[in-house]
Amino acid sequence: MLDKVMIALKSIGKNKNRNFLTMLGIIIGITSVICILAIGDGFTKVETKGLQDHNTKNRVTLSFTPSSDDDTTSGFTRNDLSVLEGITGVDHVKLTSVNPEASVTVQHQAKKSSAGLNKVPKKLKLSEGFGTTLNTNDTSDIFISKDLADKVFKGKALNKRLVINDNVFVVSGIYKIGDFSYRPDIYVSKTTFKQLFASQISQDEAKIYVKSSASKKRVSKSALNEMKKFGEDAKLGKYGVSHVDQITKSFTKTLNNITYFVAFVAGISLLIAGIGVMNVMYITVSERRKEIGIRRAFGATSGDIRNQFLIESIILCVIGGLIGIALGYSLVSIINHFLPFKAVVTAYAIVMSLSVSTAVGLIFGFIPSNKAAKSSLVGLLKEE
Amino acid sequence: MLKVNDIGKTYGKFIALENIDLEVADGEFLAIMGPSGSGKSTLINILGLLDQNYTGEYLLKEKSYKDASDNYLSKIRGDQLGFVFQNFKLLTTYSVYENIEVPLIYSKQKQANKRELVESVIKKVGLEGKEKNLPSELSGGQQQRVAIARAIVNRPNLIIADEPTGALDSKTSKEIMNIFTDLNESGTTVIMVTHDSEVAEYAMRTVFIRDGRLYNDEKSVKK
Ligand SMILES: Nc1ncnc2c1ncn2[C@@H]1O[C@H](COP(=O)(O)OP(=O)(O)OP(=O)(O)O)[C@@H](O)[C@H]1O
Ligand SMILES: [Mg+2]
Repeated sequence: MLDKVMIALKSIGKNKNRNFLTMLGIIIGITSVICILAIGDGFTKVETKGLQDHNTKNRVTLSFTPSSDDDTTSGFTRNDLSVLEGITGVDHVKLTSVNPEASVTVQHQAKKSSAGLNKVPKKLKLSEGFGTTLNTNDTSDIFISKDLADKVFKGKALNKRLVINDNVFVVSGIYKIGDFSYRPDIYVSKTTFKQLFASQISQDEAKIYVKSSASKKRVSKSALNEMKKFGEDAKLGKYGVSHVDQITKSFTKTLNNITYFVAFVAGISLLIAGIGVMNVMYITVSERRKEIGIRRAFGATSGDIRNQFLIESIILCVIGGLIGIALGYSLVSIINHFLPFKAVVTAYAIVMSLSVSTAVGLIFGFIPSNKAAKSSLVGLLKEE
Repeated sequence: MLKVNDIGKTYGKFIALENIDLEVADGEFLAIMGPSGSGKSTLINILGLLDQNYTGEYLLKEKSYKDASDNYLSKIRGDQLGFVFQNFKLLTTYSVYENIEVPLIYSKQKQANKRELVESVIKKVGLEGKEKNLPSELSGGQQQRVAIARAIVNRPNLIIADEPTGALDSKTSKEIMNIFTDLNESGTTVIMVTHDSEVAEYAMRTVFIRDGRLYNDEKSVKK
């Protein structure tokens, strides 16, 4: 086998330029496969890690979707909570909200507007005003977005007063919302949020913790039925179940779709590369008719000839694949400087790339190699 | 060694060979002469199992290969036959050593044994020291020595040579013919096509071919 590989390497070396150009397609194809797989794998790692933190095995999440978009207050009530906790197999239930923002009405002089409000994050970059956050004793201070400042105050908002749901606050900072990030219009301190606004957030999620002895499926079914029958806001919207497995499933599905798309793109580039390989193998075979004739006269079977050219075509592609892997690897380490997560080249991606290169060589080398093997011997020996 | 009964071959309507009867004994050295286009190459391609497209019967060592598989024919060519062609037919990008090694790649010899075999034939044809050279770095006579070494490296029973001296001057031709004579004297059967009656004199027997027909004496060819 080694001597066959050496023969192949030798004849590839004879036409370095031509073969390198042919490899280029494979190199580009495999480089992109490596990069995209690395990004995909890195993304999955980060994301599934997040999912795992967020979920426990014994939990069912019941959600409420209001019929009207403006409805921000209906959801699960205290009474619903006790109904859910009464279901057999339920350990305890927690009510939360998908979007923990309060919808409020703001007023400055005669100008009224509606806005989303939340508690301030630990650190915030202000475009006007001082500080980075609001402390527990800053109960009357708020930060507002530049957009809201423009809308309500026509720009000059700093240190002005703003009435929110009949309470008076002072604007002590203004922040900008970037194109790709989401922020509410108003931030208040944690204490203020708890005292005045927490109750206004609809509790549209009920996290039902199931006893280990009970079946998650049965519990989620009866919880759904109970809510349809007794839910206090049943007329205002719909209840649904989303349990952990389903979230993971739908997430994996999205990822798979991305993978299919990538496979499609990589497939097209490798198809074009493969046609290049086929072309160069046809050229090689017709240039080497004399060699084929000689080998056949001295004992090579048509199978030997076919294998010789197949090995050559595969090695050509695998060399391209190896260069592609190396190039992809360095490209990934460059990309990593710009990504919010770390893209990783896995062993699987390398094995995958090598298998793909081999397959391209095998598939597209087959017809030319077969042509070489099947040529008439007397005709071959007339070649000079 | 071989027996040919009423062999014929046509290319479409053109009759290349007709009514060929020929018998070659073990250890014989046969020369085939005839004008250009008379069918000499066509005949020895059949004898060398390179061409299976003929009518009539051909027995090599009392065996017919008419219905043999392509793979089996390759094996017989590799094990029992050795070819020397007019234009040397060397692999131009391979060294002398690698050229001579070609038949061994396809036989089941052990690696160490291969080296020994190649080195012994290199000595036999007098090419010591040229192992690493490319064919383009050799003279015509040396190139034909490489071709002969390649033909005998597998120790074949029968050597088939199509105008082995066709591209060589008379002095070099003599050297090459001496190698063939040595081979024949050590027991190998040789069938050789040639234009040159001086070269044919090295053979034990000469047959003549004209317009696809075989004759045992020169007169019938020249008439
Ligand atoms: N593939 C072919 N198709 C048609 N005719 C062919 C083919 N091969 C050979 N011939 C014809 O068969 C005849 C014999 O050819 P062959 O090669 O055997 O001649 P030869 O005796 O070896 O001649 P030379 O001494 O010039 O080599 C020639 O007339 C040639 O034109
Ligand atoms: Mg001829």
